This record gives sequence, structure tokens and C-alpha cells, in this order.
Amino acid sequence: MKATIMSWKGGPGWTGSRAQRDRRTDLVLYFGATDILKSSHCYEDLRAAFPTAHLVGCSTGGQIRGDQILDDETAAVALSFEATRIRIATGEASNLIDSRSCGEAIGRQLADDDLAGIFILSDGVHINGSELVRGVTSVVGPSVPLTGGLAGDGPRFESTVVGADGPPRGNLVAAVGFYGAAIRIAHGSAGGWDQFGPRRKITRSKGNVLFELDGEPALDLYERYLGEEDARKLPSAALLFPLLVYEPGQPGNEIVRTVLAIDRQARSMTFAGDVPEGLVAQLMRGNFDRLAEGAAKAAGQIRANVPPNPDGDEVAILVSCIGRRLLMGQNTLDEIEAAGAELGNAVKQIGFYSYGEISPHAVSGVCQLHNQTMTITTLSETAA
Amino acid sequence: VHRLFDRQLEKARKKSGVVDLMTLGDIVSEAYEQAERDRRRTDRSISLMIEELDQLNGQLEQQVTERTAALRAREVDLETQNARFSTAANNMSQALLLLDGSARLLMCNTRYLELYRLSPDVVQPGCSLVDLLAARVKNGTWIGDPQQYVDMVFALMQGGKPASWLAELPDGRTISVLVHPLPGGGWVTTHEDITERRVAEMRIAHMARHDGLTGLPNRDYLREQLAEKVSQLGQGDGLAVLYVDLDQFKSINDTLGHSVGDELLKAAADRIKAIAGEHVVARLGGDEFVIVQSGVKTRKDTIELVERICDAIRSPFELCGHVVTAEASMGVSFAPDDAEEPNDLLKHADMALYRAKDERRGSYRFFEPEMDARIKARHLMEQALRDAISNGEFEMNYQPIVDLRDGRVTCCEALIRWNHPTLGRIPPAEFIPIAEANGLIVAIGDWVIRQACAEVSMWPPDVKVAINLSPIQLMNPKLLQVVAVAIAAAGIEPSRLEIEITETVLMQNTASTLSILRRLHDLGISISMDDFGTGYSSLSNLRSFPFDKIKIDRCFISGLPTEDDSVAIVRAVVGLARSLRMITTAEGVETLEQIEHVRMLGCNEMQGNFFSAARPPAEVRQMLASGPRRIAKSA
Repeated sequence: MKATIMSWKGGPGWTGSRAQRDRRTDLVLYFGATDILKSSHCYEDLRAAFPTAHLVGCSTGGQIRGDQILDDETAAVALSFEATRIRIATGEASNLIDSRSCGEAIGRQLADDDLAGIFILSDGVHINGSELVRGVTSVVGPSVPLTGGLAGDGPRFESTVVGADGPPRGNLVAAVGFYGAAIRIAHGSAGGWDQFGPRRKITRSKGNVLFELDGEPALDLYERYLGEEDARKLPSAALLFPLLVYEPGQPGNEIVRTVLAIDRQARSMTFAGDVPEGLVAQLMRGNFDRLAEGAAKAAGQIRANVPPNPDGDEVAILVSCIGRRLLMGQNTLDEIEAAGAELGNAVKQIGFYSYGEISPHAVSGVCQLHNQTMTITTLSETAA
Repeated sequence: VHRLFDRQLEKARKKSGVVDLMTLGDIVSEAYEQAERDRRRTDRSISLMIEELDQLNGQLEQQVTERTAALRAREVDLETQNARFSTAANNMSQALLLLDGSARLLMCNTRYLELYRLSPDVVQPGCSLVDLLAARVKNGTWIGDPQQYVDMVFALMQGGKPASWLAELPDGRTISVLVHPLPGGGWVTTHEDITERRVAEMRIAHMARHDGLTGLPNRDYLREQLAEKVSQLGQGDGLAVLYVDLDQFKSINDTLGHSVGDELLKAAADRIKAIAGEHVVARLGGDEFVIVQSGVKTRKDTIELVERICDAIRSPFELCGHVVTAEASMGVSFAPDDAEEPNDLLKHADMALYRAKDERRGSYRFFEPEMDARIKARHLMEQALRDAISNGEFEMNYQPIVDLRDGRVTCCEALIRWNHPTLGRIPPAEFIPIAEANGLIVAIGDWVIRQACAEVSMWPPDVKVAINLSPIQLMNPKLLQVVAVAIAAAGIEPSRLEIEITETVLMQNTASTLSILRRLHDLGISISMDDFGTGYSSLSNLRSFPFDKIKIDRCFISGLPTEDDSVAIVRAVVGLARSLRMITTAEGVETLEQIEHVRMLGCNEMQGNFFSAARPPAEVRQMLASGPRRIAKSA
């Protein structure tokens, strides 16, 4: 496998695309700001450079390229496989209720005997990520690793776009299926957030909409903790206090949930995944150092299973939560560096800050939507 | 250089490599602001968290306080309940033991400790039942293997049902033990000392089957034993039922009092028991005993036993300072020859006894089938007697009594006659004892009194009528009334009536008899002592009541004039009567010679066939109407 990292900064053309000129490019993954992807020539330039490759990308809350975080530049990686076949699938994320059937449709498009893994990018605001994941795995089975993330829109939570062999647009889910025995897909996922304060019970919720914790409106709690200044920045400010959710008596299967939207009238909050009634919830807060350690831990999970590939390029797609970036600000690079140090210098890093991360759970192995984590997927091919 | 500042420098560096200070300033300033925001957030969240945790802490403390108070209240409640339970348990009459599912002591009351003389130090909650039983083995209040016992109770409790048994302690006490399984394992046991109750029950059971005076089996128990013995009779086996009656018991009871009578019964019972050995001896009541002789091969076996008993009773008893002699009469029946039913055997032996007593006191008879016939005949007569009054089968005859001085009839003795339509004329000697035995004598006697009073009213005013009263009649409290009514109905003077009693009357219930006699006497009725000389001939009887007349028994008169002793007795009685100012009547005068003699010996009156036998009323009336008849004087 060959991988080339590229960037686009107003054009014309993609910096670094020349390196791919002499070989066939199978897949380009690209990540950029919503307005740039929507209104610039960025996509057209990419299509021009790779007329036959599958082009899959999404809007973000910041792009990762190498050990840098970019807001103005669009980042991409061009991949040429030796023995791996790929297939692209798409689905419509028209409203939240259809998320599961959307996932099932994608699963049906990709399912095959030698399906080795799926990388998925989804609209970030019109989706219940948990249901989407359930839909896909219900068709392809739990043994096929499913990784990826939800598209971002900076700190705004308004409009996200996804592209799949066409100009990026809203309400789209795009997935890449990797086939064959040569592809090596590894993944890791970790948070690094600290839980704090009392454990609360989810006393009223419906799907991914949370109404009450311990009988008190959830939004009241968040507003109190954020203070007036931060509360004005809701819903993004809610990312500063993710919610740890787990079944009573089963703290090992805990999930971190992050807010997608709020409803000031209903005093409710919409999360990127389910917040079932009866479960225990606890606020979390971040410490720069421990968040960076979380990123290193995600990378460590990969290296524990897959050593660096000597036979070709290895690319790491980092999908990290926008909440981490909002909290860490200029220190965000610490986590990119920490992950890179763990993965090794040879690995080519690309990725984005997302509204949700998709990866098998580090403990249970079940593919899930995560929030507030650093989720890393590495791709490489073994020599034929 | 701090890595952040390093990055900030890199970010502010222009393409030329020169750092743009303005840009650097912006970046650094932004970092400071960010750090401040983060610090503010951290501060805020930490203080809020502390506040929340404080509040939560307060709530928890409140909860703990409330729960502690509730627990304390429950504890007090439990203590009260425990105290109540413990008071109740320690004040119950039964011993109580509560054991858990592994046979360890939960509690026991003080009664348990007392009952088995256990120290409270040994019996502690948590100690095992095995240890507890071992302690009882050691102090001698239980014998057995503790583990075996516990296994046994476990097995019983598996059924989930209560169980009970009686435990006999080595010291003789009887304990009623009740074991009841507890829900959730274990059991509760109560122990009650029922020794006294059991002894009482056994005594009551004994009393129900034994005679209180002699301690011998009573009639019910005898019947049981007899039935058992009969049922056990094998081929060629026999048993004898000996019905014993003490001949003199009644008179000893009457003369010496009941306490001496009781002593006689006890002593007789002891002698009979000593001789009877392993044979069953029972007392049926009164002076009647029964011996059931088992293993009788020949009648000789029984004769030997009978004679030994007769001999034993015959030797004098020394009772309360009195020397008393008695004799036993016996009737014997044999099983299976005479009967096999216990009741029949007893009945037959009784018949044989009856016959023996009839014939000679102090003798014995074996049952014969004809005895049965005689008894049946007696029953027949009894029945006939009941109908006799209403059928008008009785009639009265009168025998004149004559003044020896002038030959004038002074009195006539009323004598009853029974003419049965099929059996013919039945003599009083046959039916009077039966009437006395079944109480009919009262009704018959009343009839006689009314008849005699009515009859005498038709006679010359100087002639009286004499009526015989049975002892049974004299015991009837209505006698006085009957006599008074009869006198009034006949319209006669009470002095026209003479009442004759025998000595036997005075022997029975003397005080009340004497009182009745006195009241009759007070009315003006004369009282005569009948048949004097044959019975007890007790001079004290003569003194006990102011008799108007003594009738000298015919057995002495019949010996006149040849038998010297008869002459002497008649002379003595006449002398005695004269001294006591009593008239004497010689009974049974048959010859002229006898008339002369009794006159010579000083008798006042005579009665007998020589002058006149008893005659029907019409004849007597005619005779009396014809005026005084002189008796021929000696030639």
C-alpha cells in the first residue's frame, strides 16, 4: 500500500498530489471545513487530480495532518492498494428515526465473504450514531471492524457535509468497505476524561434525548456547571462536561456521551447516542495531560495488536472529538503528538475533529458510537 | 522553552523565518485567556461539585440519623418483645427449648433448668443439643446416646409435623415431650412433668376396676378377667367360678357396727386371697366375693379349694377388740360345663350359692341345671305376686287368741292367704320372702292393714285384731300414715289394733324402727314380740321397748309337758314378762294337756289349732257373734 498525504489551501490543485501521479489511486479520504467543502473548488480540484479514484470525505471541527491541526487547509490522503479491493456504499441520513435502517442499507451494500473492515463517515447532526452502527453491524456481523466518525461543523453544530464520489452534501452517510486478506486494519479508542461529582440516575429520557437526571432537568444541571459565560455557548459548551453513562453494577461497559443539541423550552439535551432511562450518569471533566494520555492509550491499543508495518506505508486516521479540542485549545496538539509518538514516526497521520467516533469498544469489542474519545484506525497491507 | 511556547513561536514565524511579534502576542494572549477560562471552569465545577457533594452528604447524614433512630426504635421494640417473651417463657409451667436448624440452642426457659437440674452456665445460647444431653446424662436426668437422640429428632422434623412422646426419667418422673418444627429450620420443644397426673390417672384407672375397701378387682374387672380366662381355655381345660357369701356379715354389721363389718370384709378378703394364690379374687359388693379358679382338671381340685376357704373363714377373726366368727357359703359353677359366658357363669354360681344358703349356712353347692329351673320358678312367682293384689287373689284368715282364765276370745291374728288361679294355694312362707326381697311386701302389708282394720270394726268391741309387720314395712316412712288412715277409715279405736314384730325387726335400723314403734304405741296400738325364743332371744331387746305382749314360740309349747327344758324356758319367759308387766301368749297350742300346762305355768293367753285354726272372716264373725266359747277345762 502506498499513501500520500495532501493538502488544499484555496487551490488551484492539491499540494502533494504529484507523488501519486505515477500510480493508480484507489481511494482518497479528505477532511475540511464545512463552508470550504460546500462552496470552494476543493472537491473539483481533487476529482481533477484523481479522476478514477473513490473520493470520500466530510466536514470537520478541524483537520489533522501529520502532527498539525488545520482549520483553513483541507487535508487528504491518497491510497493505492496492492491487493485490497474496496467498495463504496452510501445511505441517507434524512432524520434521526431512520438511522438504523440507513445503517442496515449500508451493511447490505458492503456485506461480502472477504469484507475485512469498514470505514464510515456520517452526517454529524441528522443522525443517531448508535442506531447507525447497530444497523451496519446487524447485517455484516460483529466480527467486521467498523470505524469512522460523524462529520463536524466547527463548534457550531449546525450543518455538516459528507461526500462519496460526488460534491459533499448534508444528510449523507458514506462508507468504504475493504476486502481481501492483505489489508491490515487496526483500531484503538480511549477518552482520558475524569469523572467527577455525584453519580446521577437517568430518570427521564427518550432515545438520545435526555430530559432529567435525578428528577432535575438535565439542562439546568449543565447550565449551573457551565456558568453564565459558557452557558451562552451551548450546545458546544456542553462538550466541556461529557456524560459518562453505564448500567448500575456494570461500570466496565461505560460509554461517554456528548451533546449534539439542546432545547431550552423542553429543558432537554440531545446526545450523539442513546441515554437510556435507569442508567447511571456522571459528569466528566478534562485535564489536558490526561486527555493527551487518553490519545496515547488509543494508539497503544493498536500497537499492542499490530506492530509497525515494514512492507509498505501505514496510515493512521485519527478521529478525535470536537469537545477535546474545545477544552484543550492550543494544547490540543499535545494529544496528536502523544498518539504519534506511540504509533511511531513512519506512520502517516491524517484525521479530523468529529461530532462522534465510531470504533469497537476497547473492553467489550462491540462496535459502538463513542463521544469525547480519540479513536484511531490504522490501514496497511501485508506483502503479497 | 515550553513546548506550547515553542509551537506559538513556530506559528508566529513568517516565511522569512522572522517571528512576527504582533502575531505571537495574539497567540500567547489567547493561550492565557484560555488557561484562565479553564481555571475558572475548573474552580466553578469543583466548588459546585463540593456544594453538591456537601448537600448529598447532608442528605446522607440525615438519612443515617433517621435510619439510626428507626433502628434504635426497633431495637427498643425488640427488647420489649424479648422481655415479654422471656417473662412468658419463664413463667410457663412447661419447660421450653428453642433450637436452630443445626440443633444449637436459641433459648431455653428457667423451668427447663429446674426440671433437669441444669446449671445456667452449661446451658448457653449456641450450645449444642448434644452437649446439653450429655450434661443431663452426667447429672443423671437422662439415659441415652445424645447423638442418636438428635438424629432421631432431625428425622422426625424432616416430616414437617409435630411429634410427641413420654419420657421416663431415671428418677421415676414422667415427662411429656412435644416437638414442633419451626419455619426455616430448627424446632421448639416443650417438656411437662406429668408424673402426678399419670399417678392420678393410674389411681383412677385402678379405682374404676377395683374395690376401694379390699383392693380386690370389682365386678367390671372380674367380668373382663373372667372373659379373658374363658377365651383362653384350651381343650380339656376348665375353670371354676366360686361365689362366696359371708353368712354372718349382716348381723355383725348390725350389732357391731359398719367399721367392724368393714374390717371383717378386709380380713376375709386377705384370707381368701392367701388361699386363692394366683387365682383371680374379686369383691362384687356387700359380703360377696368371687374366685376364678383356673386350670381345673377335676372337681376335686375345686372341692379342695372350697373347703380350704371355708376352713379359713371359719377360724375366728379378731376385729377392733371383738372376736368375731363367721362362715362362708359358696356356690360354684364350671366353665365350659355349666356355661361359657362370664355373666352366665356368675349367675349360675350365684344360684348355687343361693341353694347352699337355703340348705345350710357354711356349706357349698355346685350348680345344677334344676337350680336354674327353681330360679325361673321364683321369677314366675315374683311376676304372679305383682298381679295378685290387683287380681284380688289374696284373702285374709283370722286365728283367735283366747284368754286362758275365762276362755274368752280377746284377739284374732290376721293371716294372709294367696290363692293363685293355676298354682293354687301358696303358703306365706313361700311368697313372703319373695315379696320382702322385691319390696312388694309394702303394698301387700298396706292391703293387710286396711283389711284387718275394716274387719275388726265388724267384731265385738272387746276383740282386737293382730297384724304381723315385716322389717321392710317398718322401714317405710309412710307406715304411720297408712295405719292412721286405715284406722280412721274403719272408724275403730287404735287400741283395737295389735302389731306383732319379730326380733329381726329390732336388729335392723334400730333407732328409726324404735321411733316408729313408739309413735304407733303412742297412738294406743299394742305392740307384741312375736316368736320369742327362736331368734336372738335378746333380753336387751325386751328392755329396749315397752312391749305389751310376748308371744312364746310354738317350738317350746310343742315340747310341753314332757321336755323339761321347754317347761323351764316357758316358765322363765312367763316370769320375766310378768316382772316387766307384759302379757304372755303361748303359740301353737295343740292339745288339752298343753293348755293345762301353759295355764299352770302362768301364761295369760293361748293360740293354736286346739281352739281354732285360722278361719275365713265370715266364720270368725259368726264365731264371735255366738258369744264367748269356753275352753274345756282339764278333766
